Amino acid sequence: MAAWLGDLYWTYQNVVVALGVNGLLALSMYVVLAAGQLSLGQAAFMGLGAYSSALMTLTLGWPFWIVLPASCVAPVAFALAVGGPTLRLSGVYLAIATIGLGEVLRAVYLNVDALGGALGLSGIPEQASPGVIFAVLAAALAVLWLVGRSGTGRAMEALREDATAAQAMGIDVGRVRLAVLVASAVLAGLAGALSAHATDFIGPNDFGFEPAVTILSFALLGGIGSPFGPVLGAWVLTLLPEVFRGFADLRLVLDGLVIVLAVLFLPRGLLAWRMPRKAA
Amino acid sequence: MLRRRIALAAAVLAMLAVPAHAGDPVPVGAVEILSGPNAAYGIAIKAGLDLALEAVNAKGVLGGRPLSLTVEDSGGTKDGAINAVRKLIGRDKVAAIIGPTLSNEMFAAGPVANGRGVPIIGTSTTAKGITDIGPFVFRTSLPEADVIPVTLKKAIARGVKTIALLYANDDAFSKSGFDSMKAAAEAAGLSIVAIDSFGSKDTDFSAQLTKIKSLKPDAVAISALVEPVSGVLLQARQLGFGKETLFIGGNGSNSPKLGQIAGAAADGLIVGSPWFVAKPDKLNTAFVAAFRAKYGKDPDQFAAQAYDTLLILAEAIDRAGDADPTKIRDALLKTDHTGPLGPFRFTDHRDPASTEGVVVLEMRGGAFGIAQ
Repeated sequence: MAAWLGDLYWTYQNVVVALGVNGLLALSMYVVLAAGQLSLGQAAFMGLGAYSSALMTLTLGWPFWIVLPASCVAPVAFALAVGGPTLRLSGVYLAIATIGLGEVLRAVYLNVDALGGALGLSGIPEQASPGVIFAVLAAALAVLWLVGRSGTGRAMEALREDATAAQAMGIDVGRVRLAVLVASAVLAGLAGALSAHATDFIGPNDFGFEPAVTILSFALLGGIGSPFGPVLGAWVLTLLPEVFRGFADLRLVLDGLVIVLAVLFLPRGLLAWRMPRKAA
Repeated sequence: MLRRRIALAAAVLAMLAVPAHAGDPVPVGAVEILSGPNAAYGIAIKAGLDLALEAVNAKGVLGGRPLSLTVEDSGGTKDGAINAVRKLIGRDKVAAIIGPTLSNEMFAAGPVANGRGVPIIGTSTTAKGITDIGPFVFRTSLPEADVIPVTLKKAIARGVKTIALLYANDDAFSKSGFDSMKAAAEAAGLSIVAIDSFGSKDTDFSAQLTKIKSLKPDAVAISALVEPVSGVLLQARQLGFGKETLFIGGNGSNSPKLGQIAGAAADGLIVGSPWFVAKPDKLNTAFVAAFRAKYGKDPDQFAAQAYDTLLILAEAIDRAGDADPTKIRDALLKTDHTGPLGPFRFTDHRDPASTEGVVVLEMRGGAFGIAQ
């Protein structure tokens, strides 16, 4: 590789990593939205994945290929524990409950000394290469595509359109909702582990309310007709601040302008296309 | 007409084709928070850097080459800081970087510059462990661990024997400051009667203060940003804390905003500062006068630290004899500089070596003065 090309890649390596990680987070939001659940626990799940994986690497010294799958354990356990009570809620009440859970976890990170408190955990080895991150993202997209086209995908869509009707059609609403929450936890947990092992450092404020809303905006900007929409939304929102870096002070204004225009003129998201389904 | 246009084009081409020569600018970069809730710090730092850049470029470095400074915004986030550092090194090919603003940003961005072998110098990063990141990470900001013992010495001279510690437990700066306070109080032989914490956004501190009041400590030390410190002081006065209790602030209390928010309630609070606007030495008065002339307001501690840091860096580039990052790093270690902050050298671990420049300030009538 030519030297200037190497430099160019090195310069934007973190942006490339962020594209992969944010893509996974967008998918984590997509799975719950696709089943009609407004759950904002993705940042909390991501935090659990990031902290648990960082501890496995830093204190237990496990190799990365064990740490990565194991990083799903804590978020999934948390999803199963909170899923029972919270999934009885819906709409904005579920959103509020999940935001609350995220804040509880943030308070835990801040107050537990083993997690570094406000100083966070630093010195996490950079083991997640962009190749690994995009392989995970591609695998997640493939799985969601196949599931989306299957009977489960139809059940999710039925649930999103009308939960009562879906139940009347014989769909086990509770099971589907818990399943999508667990899937969401797995995706966000993986994203957390990959992000922690790509940027050296994690701190409690990386997983608070603000990131939770950012993740929601990925999915809403991209559109939730297919798994590709949210990933596209995540990529656009990740790239905008870097593309506009040259505008210095106007950067955030342009950022906001693009989002407002997208919401006004593309209410179904950037990618309004819906994935085709097999006939039943 | 056409001929003139061709001549013009040729001139432009000739200018583009000029090979690198002695007059080329030496690129350096800075990563600071220029947008978002913490932008005030980054903007103060940028003002200090810009002023120092004028001073440096009056004569240039490496025998007359100007320094070109690119300041990138980190937005206060770890990804923003990493992206900015990567952009400065990868695209702008800077020889050294000043910043980032917050310790948490440095923990994320420091390893990037260090891994690439480019010196990175924090001017406002006071948390523990910053220079442990690696051999290319420096800081010119005195860590709280160095400032607090000087403040406590002053308190002990005033007869303080027992102390209560209060801190905000949800940001790195306050927590790290508290750890230093506790260690320094123990080392100074003070007896710690109570340790309590609160959240940075809390508005009610009466539970903690009532408990502390019942224990009657000689002093109360607070590690938090200026807004919660002001709230604590206002409420403490309402609860009847009087002159018999000495309030001691950490680095977060070292802001003129304390007097503006807390007013008379802050009177008597002492705080150690690496710099003070009314420090009477010649270099400092010249800096303050130049800053006032350029910006029409007083500099703060962050501007002063940034100003001195760019001077230190320019001197190191001169000593290195070349704009090579590794040579600059080695030259930085041999720094022996005197500026508005006082005499400055680095330790072998790339932290500031001396606390000679530290001044203990006392709040009087809503403004800081040098403590007696």
